[in-house]
Amino acid sequence: MANAVISGYIIMAEDLKCACDSTNVALFSCSGASNVGQLSNQLAIELTEKGVGKMMCAVGIGGEVAGLLRSAEGCDRIIAIDGCPLNCTKKTLELAGLEVNRHILVTDLGIKKNKDLRVKGPELADTLEKVSEILAN
Amino acid sequence: MKIEVLGSGCAKCNKVKEIVQKLVNENNIDAEIIKVEDIDKILDYGVMVTPALVIDGDVKIAGKIPSEDKVREWLMQ
Repeated sequence: MANAVISGYIIMAEDLKCACDSTNVALFSCSGASNVGQLSNQLAIELTEKGVGKMMCAVGIGGEVAGLLRSAEGCDRIIAIDGCPLNCTKKTLELAGLEVNRHILVTDLGIKKNKDLRVKGPELADTLEKVSEILAN
Repeated sequence: MKIEVLGSGCAKCNKVKEIVQKLVNENNIDAEIIKVEDIDKILDYGVMVTPALVIDGDVKIAGKIPSEDKVREWLMQ
């Protein structure tokens, strides 16, 4: 099985999504330098593993990397996960002309922003449950 | 001109190659058409959804089948 690395993430061969089989949903997280930023990153990973969508590289959108921009444009829906109300992910996507269909804000889910970079175990599980509920409706 | 069709060889990927081949033939374009199925090469372009079309190193579209008119426009640029 071939693996590859994109922006620090290991991508397994089967994770490259072919548009033939289903709806393409893109997941973008801010992955910022705070507890909620890192939590947004973990949420995107968990949601990808649950099959909700496919995590893509938000920084590549800001960097105008053609392959990443075209991949986002080729998705049927885009979910943006921001850690805090600075909304960097949503703004980055919108500046690139991409429509954000769902926007998740981690601080709206009862997590206060601080400078910790390690996600605490219960926070991820609790937040994931809330996000899953939001996306199910 | 170097034209790369990125994808696993599924129906949509084959359709993109078919469109490109047809337009290249119709317009007598001097082009090399390559089908890229290697995951590493696809990811090197930053492409996360296929099919995708790359013309002379520039990713034109990903995750969708382009219209013939759009491909013609890209080929004539």
